[in-house]
Amino acid sequence: MSNEFNIKNIAKLASINLSEEEQDSLSNDLSIILEHVNALSDLKLNSQQQEIFIHPLEKELELQEDEVVESLTHDEAISNAPESKDGKFVVPPSME
Amino acid sequence: MSLKPTIGIETHIELNTNTKMFCRCAVVDTDEPNISLCPTCIGLPGALPVPNKKAIEFITLLAISTGCEITSKGMFHRKNYFYPDLPKNYQISQFDLPVGLNGELEIVIDENKDYIQIERVHMEEDTGKSSHSGSGRIESATSTALDFNRSGVPLVEIVTKPVISSSKQAVAYIEELRQLSIDLNISEGRLEKGNLRFDANISVAHEDSNELGTKVEIKNMNSLRSLERAIDYEIQRQTKALEEGVEIVQETRHWDENKEVTSTMRSKEGSADYRYFSDPDLPNMFLSEEFIKEVETLMPLLPKAQREELMTTGLSLSQSNILCKSDDWIKKLYVKVFDQTKDSVASYNWITGELQGQMRKANIEVLPEWFNDDYLSEIIELIKGNKISFTSAKIILTEILTTESTPSKVAKQKNLFQENDSKKISEMINQIIQENQDIVDRIKSGEDKLVGFLVGQLMKQSNGSVNPGLAKELLLKELEG
Repeated sequence: MSNEFNIKNIAKLASINLSEEEQDSLSNDLSIILEHVNALSDLKLNSQQQEIFIHPLEKELELQEDEVVESLTHDEAISNAPESKDGKFVVPPSME
Repeated sequence: MSLKPTIGIETHIELNTNTKMFCRCAVVDTDEPNISLCPTCIGLPGALPVPNKKAIEFITLLAISTGCEITSKGMFHRKNYFYPDLPKNYQISQFDLPVGLNGELEIVIDENKDYIQIERVHMEEDTGKSSHSGSGRIESATSTALDFNRSGVPLVEIVTKPVISSSKQAVAYIEELRQLSIDLNISEGRLEKGNLRFDANISVAHEDSNELGTKVEIKNMNSLRSLERAIDYEIQRQTKALEEGVEIVQETRHWDENKEVTSTMRSKEGSADYRYFSDPDLPNMFLSEEFIKEVETLMPLLPKAQREELMTTGLSLSQSNILCKSDDWIKKLYVKVFDQTKDSVASYNWITGELQGQMRKANIEVLPEWFNDDYLSEIIELIKGNKISFTSAKIILTEILTTESTPSKVAKQKNLFQENDSKKISEMINQIIQENQDIVDRIKSGEDKLVGFLVGQLMKQSNGSVNPGLAKELLLKELEG
């Protein structure tokens, strides 16, 4: 099953480093998960049931009015930042 | 080898709501960083997003006005990627159930209409702004600084089908979409502020091929000039590569305005790489018939209908298109002046030509308070009635743009009313002939060009108040006689 996905690419997308050992064990785990998920395609569904509209919450979405509510002050917002400069959050260099 | 380009455009429109998409922080337009934040828009654990009703109304308006089918049962998805401008590590967006599907937008190029098919219109949130510090080059930055004021601002994404075939069409499409969003009052449509930002997917294939070539995406442009030049450059680059047998790599490229080239940013992610899944924090969204009907009541006259209406006054398609994409006061002024003069060409020319030209020249952004809409009609009527010359009309306009007065008053003060009385003009002509007998003799011996000199003398003597056409006619008659 592991040839269906590239564990190195998945690790890259998830932004995590995996050792060779971890790659092997996670490949195994993911294969099992995929097998389970693939079982869904064996279900015989009519077109109405196929409609993808599943959500863990049955509640209907509520919308809120477009009215401003004050929240965090600048100092509060930035108070937990490990590093800041000129009012901005500073993080390690990151670019697309 | 005959090659054809195919272009699809993704446009992001920042909505002009008071508050952000999923929280009630104010949308602010300021350089002061991080002043409009809350736990939701900086992704603190436990914060729950709740969508902005106004933003949903706005996107529904846009979807209806582009002829989209409205997805009454929709939902929000998480688009996952690691980039610090979105502190949650995902963007709330829509995936397979966007608000609008399969629409169309009419565009105009010169005197021709065209239709651009729209694949989808979906709702999402904007990211924060990042700036990089270090040696100046983005690749060697030592840190990234973040301002989250923009994080969570409602953003509508409109994706066209790959149906655009030139940069000219692409520009006309963005111009139309921009005007539509302004007329719908859902965005200020200010490109320089990034209210509209666009990505272009460009591919080149053999003319007789049914398949599209490998597509390259050019990201994040916010000016029509960049869009046009980036597309032209990319078509040329890909055409040359294909002609030389070089394979095109699917990737995201960046348009460098200064160097006028596109360059590789990163290899393109596929949709699967974003690991979309329905956002468990946001229940499914139902847009009821009642809601849609309510939204429809907000629908203004759209640019397409405005063009049709303007054409009934006698304007061409391109003139109507220029007017419908002008500021609101210009459109209103045209309607008023046309109503009064019933002369579409003069009304159009005076408003889009002389009036706007003089205002630009004199750095006037708004018409002065005393400037009555009737003044332009008055000027047009004075010209048509041969009461003032075209040149005098321009002088009058300049005057009433800077001084509180009326066209008739200025014409009187500056002695600009034309003399149309043949008897009076003939008297002046006789005097000119007497004073310039040598010139008259030369005209009679064949130097026709000197007639102009005599007309000039006549204009000088009358301080420009004589109707020049009539003066010339009478002068020739006198000389012949």
